[in-house]
Order: sequence, then C-alpha cells, then structure tokens
Amino acid sequence: MNSEEAEELLHEAVGFLVTVVEACAAVVIVAGALWAFFRFLKAVATRRTAREFVSVRLTLGRFLALGLEFQLASDVLRTAVAPSFEELAKLAVVAAIRTALNYFLAKEIAEERRQIAEDDADGRPSATGGGKDRSAP
Amino acid sequence: MTSAAEAVRLVALLLTGAALLAAVGALLSTRRPALALGIGLDLLLAAGLLRLATAPSWRQIAATAAIVALRHLIGRGLRAGAPVWRRPGPRSAARTPPPPAAGRSGSPARR
Repeated sequence: MNSEEAEELLHEAVGFLVTVVEACAAVVIVAGALWAFFRFLKAVATRRTAREFVSVRLTLGRFLALGLEFQLASDVLRTAVAPSFEELAKLAVVAAIRTALNYFLAKEIAEERRQIAEDDADGRPSATGGGKDRSAP
Repeated sequence: MTSAAEAVRLVALLLTGAALLAAVGALLSTRRPALALGIGLDLLLAAGLLRLATAPSWRQIAATAAIVALRHLIGRGLRAGAPVWRRPGPRSAARTPPPPAAGRSGSPARR
C-alpha cells in the first residue's frame, strides 16, 4: 500500500467516524428537544407552576451539553485529516461556537441549580421555578 | 445536498416550530415572559446546533453565531433582571441589613 492509498483510507475511516459521532450528537439533541417539548406541553395542559418548566429546562440544557460534547468530539476527529484552508477555517469557527456554547451552557445550568437551592432554602414556592431536577440524560 | 442533511434540516425546522409553540404555551400558562423566552431560546438553540452539523456555509455559520450571541445576551439580561422581579424570601429578608434609624421601617428587601 503506497502513501496515497493509506491517506485515502484514513480519510474514509475518519469520515465514517465523524458521521457516526455527529449522528450520535443529533440523536441526543433531537431526543432531548422532543422530550422537553412534550414535557412543556404536558406542563401547559396540566397548568403546572413555573417550577416544572424550569426543571424541564435544566434537563434540556443537559441534553444539549451532551450533544455539544459529541459535536466537539467530531470536530477533533476532523482535524485528524488535512482539509483545505477554507474547510479548516469553517471547522475552527464552528468548534469555537460549540466550545463557547458548552461553556456558557454549563455556567447557566450551575446558576439555575444555585438559584433553585436558594429558593428551596428560602421556602419560596417558585421564584425561578425552583424544581428538583431528577431526570438527566 | 444529501438526504441525511435534508432530514437534519427538516428536523431543525420542526424544532423551530416547537420552540415557538412551547414558548407561547409557557407564556400563557405561567405569565412569565422571561421563563417563556428562555424555553423558546433553548429549543431554538437545539435547532441551531442541528443546522451546524450539516456542512454549513459561511452564511449559516454567521447566522448561528449571531443567534448564539443574541441568546446569550438576552439570557444574561434576563438573569440580571430576575432579582428585581423576585419577591424576597424569609432568608434573604433576614440577610438584608436593617434600614437606617431615620429611615422608614418595613422597606422591602429587594425591589
């Protein structure tokens, strides 16, 4: 096997892995979004308090963070092959967006959890919503 | 465009519709615009993430970046404004320093 054939093989293998990891990310994000949407609809139909909505939002945030981790993994895989400069630039921008999102999402989840704990300690019914979030992806 | 990319775009479009529906439902149900906006933006973010997965053009990347930045800005604004809307609880009221002697008694802990 010469070097060109080996490079082509590597391209194909990485391309396949990237597709698989991106598919995992899409499945996690779609599953989380659909789950959250139906929970929101249920909360609206049963006239739940804001507590229920915030609880669902927290879980949706965790699903999105998990999906982002998968997408970042696929970005890392893409750097294994040497693409054109334009592809590389796009990859860098997309990876930067995803990394920033992941960071802010994690901060947001921590902030919501802190507020919920504060509300529970205050005995406040639902200032932020303040629900115990038991479900997680 | 491959059929997989087309399917992902379709799902992203459905999620966008779901975001609008959920936000309106939450607004009508809880009468909390901040919460409803947060719900809508979260689902819109999910749709944006899906769109980024399908070999995006520069235009799409710029649009997604703008949405993410806007979402973050709105989220920060809402969180910064949240304490103003919240009623004080017993603990936070207890933490508030007493008003000056010449001041009015029973002033709220937070506006």
